[in-house]
Amino acid sequence: MDDPYWFGQIAAANAMSDVYAMGGIPKTAMNLVGFPSKEMDISVLRRIIEGGLDKMREAGVVLVGGHTIDDPELKYGLSVTGFVHPDRVLVKRSLRPGDRLILTKPLGTGIIATAIKGSLASIDIEERVTRMMATLNRDAAEVMGFFPVHACTDITGFGFLGHLAEMVASSGWGVRIDSARLPILPETAGYANMGLIPAGAYRNRDYRKNMIDFAPSVERVLQDILFDPQTSGGLLISVDGGRADEMLNALVEKGVANASIVGEVVTEPKERIMVY
Amino acid sequence: MESFLDCRGLACPAPVLQTKNVIDREHPDLVEVKVDNEAAGENVSRFLNSQGFHVTVVKQGSELRITGRKEGNAASESASAAPEKSLGHKKIMVMIAADRVGRGDDELGLKLMASFLKTLKEMGPELWRLVLLNNGVKLAVESSEFVASLLELKDQGVGIFVCGTCLNHFGLMDRKRVGETTNMLDIVTSMQVADQVINI
Repeated sequence: MDDPYWFGQIAAANAMSDVYAMGGIPKTAMNLVGFPSKEMDISVLRRIIEGGLDKMREAGVVLVGGHTIDDPELKYGLSVTGFVHPDRVLVKRSLRPGDRLILTKPLGTGIIATAIKGSLASIDIEERVTRMMATLNRDAAEVMGFFPVHACTDITGFGFLGHLAEMVASSGWGVRIDSARLPILPETAGYANMGLIPAGAYRNRDYRKNMIDFAPSVERVLQDILFDPQTSGGLLISVDGGRADEMLNALVEKGVANASIVGEVVTEPKERIMVY
Repeated sequence: MESFLDCRGLACPAPVLQTKNVIDREHPDLVEVKVDNEAAGENVSRFLNSQGFHVTVVKQGSELRITGRKEGNAASESASAAPEKSLGHKKIMVMIAADRVGRGDDELGLKLMASFLKTLKEMGPELWRLVLLNNGVKLAVESSEFVASLLELKDQGVGIFVCGTCLNHFGLMDRKRVGETTNMLDIVTSMQVADQVINI
């Protein structure tokens, strides 16, 4: 991410995502900064922090302090604290058979970021992906409060299947994913076909491939997209099957335009993911 | 013209980007890239493939040597013509330029399309290629009820080709679920090669 302001925005949105994924509301944050002060102009840091601060304001989060150290490699993150009702804490593992899975942001940010790094991405897709990564999961989290959601996680570095596998492995149930219904950013498949796949995607695949079955119709490129490490991805929500359509409508109405019902929790085969 | 690249020690996407630079600058007929990890090997192979090179990979210990050879004079970006069915038969090509059959009643048109795609296999081995254009490309995308029928035809060896310009126009490029993306040059060449061309 070249623009320091957007770098700050995305880092902040990413950091707050974990709290939303637990069904909570972020309230306070502290900045964590590593900055090469001898090599980079301080105005870069100023813009990053502005980006982060604006995102915090948007989320209603108060910045209460932070640490800044000199570091040859630039780093910016937040330590976020939030509130959640003790009876309504959402964790990854409590999937229930009959639940349906909703994904709230489209996949492809890792592959597109790789294309951007190689100056091969169009300006349009660069802008679209930047805005998508900077979008808070707050609206999705608010809608969750009105529905019987059993489990939730946010999709980041392990990719869609990596994070889904975490939910499945600890729940004891199985999951079926309808690959045709996965929201995917435009141009992603094209870049993947050109080999612009981050190394992390291969690691994600190796780590979880033993618990995943792909139907023959699922092309390799699509599989790569499902392992593509995401930055500031959406929420993967496991909601009571009977209310899923209603919840999807509520999400779309609230502005979570890319939300899609992507699969369901099944009793067999246990602790495996079937992608068709 | 031959180009050689040593991309050992480089993290993705550097190997692909360096390969791209070399190809853009030197226009080689043969390019050889050395990498030291599987991910880079896979990425570079795919990239060379997408640029019309025939790719071979040789593993030497923990290193991979990827060699790309240009096929003939690839005028366009597609080095398609993947072997479909065995020759010796008449070759029938079906062009589908709409997402339903006929005009008059749209619902009837959809039913007719469903029936048509299911019955097409009766042509047997003579059915060589199906080309989808304009609204026809919508048959091959994720929300289409016809994807299953198309996949069945593909499994029987029928070449399924979907117009890339049309996919782009509708913004459907990465929602395609079956078939190879093609261009007008391929389509026109297919018309010439086919013994019979049927328009729907």
